[in-house]
Amino acid sequence: MPVWTIGQKRAAGVLAGVTAGIVGIAFAIGELPFRLSQIWTLVLDLAAKNNVPLLVTDIASLVIQCSMIIGFIAVSVMFMVWWERKISAHMQSRLGPMETGGWHGWAQTIADAIKLLLKEDIVPFAASPWVHFFAPIVAFIPAFLCYAALPFGEGTIAVDLDIGVLYIFAISGLSVLGIIMAGWGSGNKYSMLGGLRAAAQSVSYEIPRVLSVVPILMIAGTMKLTGIAAIQSEPLAWIPFLPNWFIFYPVIGQLSFIIFLICSVAETNRTPFDIAESESELVAGFHTEYSGMKFSFFFLAEYAFIFLSSGMAAALFLGGGSGPFLPSWFWFLIKSFAVVFLFIWFRWTFPRMRVDRLMEFCWKFLLPWSFVNILLTGAWLLR
Amino acid sequence: MILYFKTIYKVSAALLSGMWVTFKWMFRPSMTLQYPHEKAVTPERFRGTLVFDKDTCTACNLCVKACPTACISLEPYVDPATNKRLAKINWYQIDFGKCNYCRLCEEACPTKPVKSVRHSHGYEWTMTDRKEMHVKWVR
Repeated sequence: MPVWTIGQKRAAGVLAGVTAGIVGIAFAIGELPFRLSQIWTLVLDLAAKNNVPLLVTDIASLVIQCSMIIGFIAVSVMFMVWWERKISAHMQSRLGPMETGGWHGWAQTIADAIKLLLKEDIVPFAASPWVHFFAPIVAFIPAFLCYAALPFGEGTIAVDLDIGVLYIFAISGLSVLGIIMAGWGSGNKYSMLGGLRAAAQSVSYEIPRVLSVVPILMIAGTMKLTGIAAIQSEPLAWIPFLPNWFIFYPVIGQLSFIIFLICSVAETNRTPFDIAESESELVAGFHTEYSGMKFSFFFLAEYAFIFLSSGMAAALFLGGGSGPFLPSWFWFLIKSFAVVFLFIWFRWTFPRMRVDRLMEFCWKFLLPWSFVNILLTGAWLLR
Repeated sequence: MILYFKTIYKVSAALLSGMWVTFKWMFRPSMTLQYPHEKAVTPERFRGTLVFDKDTCTACNLCVKACPTACISLEPYVDPATNKRLAKINWYQIDFGKCNYCRLCEEACPTKPVKSVRHSHGYEWTMTDRKEMHVKWVR
């Protein structure tokens, strides 16, 4: 019988308490999207009774959805930054932020955000002011637009597009424009190099990333993200214990998931594919000349894209919001943050790749294998 | 063709083993101390700041002779009534700006059982002025 020390007992107690609290809160607001839609129908009825024009309620609905998405992005990015700092610290035998906010430095990112808001906004003399000004906005807006079509579990989606997958891939590809603008408009040769590297990398990795999703679209027969999630929540006939998630499809699922994951890491410009902002080669690449709020927009965009990629991985490969007991949005968040953990884990394990190897890896390895994957899926569908 | 798949297997195994290493290290206790809240336990023979006991010192001058940087100086107490030098100090001064924490003064000190000049385990000591480095004990 092992004897527990007081510290272990306290840790176990805290862990049990936090888990119980999260589960309790999840149950308490598990019906949140349905309650919200009920409230919204009441509001619409009230508006119809008082002869409020339909345009006003439409605009109000859009504003509410936008602010909810912005709020979600801001809060999740703050959480992810703190989480990344803690995980990286523990992987390196450090503790990370411990002071701000009392409990394990939970308020560190809030303090950082306030600091970034208060910092001086520096525009270099050599910079092109307008390009320099618009670059962070152009980099961030696609990330925000993509969240419109991301299903946060059953019934929690801003716009349920029929071509949701295509829409997200198309819009997220626009973000690289902001990075090129930042590199070019800064008037700095390293930033320029960083922006061009980012462009080359994003355009290259976009191709296997889209092709890795094609097998899923072939099996599901739809591009609707909610439709794909619905297909995955049905029980699987030929493997009794596993859920019908695409990652459990033999060979095809795993291959697609790995290619998608690698390309997502490359798309978000994170280590081991961070040649666009490599500190040791290009100072900080495209965001060298940015400070204050503009810099934090780039930061926000990067982390928003990480969560977007994780959410897409959860919706496409891990069954979206399907899962027992807990509400579906909660399952979606659990799965997404599990993939976010993978992103962080990669970043703090692998060293940076060389530029030529990066391109070689994309064009000579990922692309052929994603074609092979599509072929295998075709054979599997024809069986 | 076999070589191609062999390379893929080797590379994947290497990447996975690297990930396993970082995953394992994530659950190990960290080596950092939260300094103001936690303090390091110094080794037994740690040479911290010098402390001096003016009551047991015999003013034998051995530490002054042993000190390689000549940072110790002292004056023996002379009884004003008999005009005789006693085995006590009048004042004793250590210049911590010169001290190199070598323990030679402690080794030379003959007082028993506790040396009158010795290293403590203290390491939290800051001065804002050069004059504060001259620490003087007066009888």
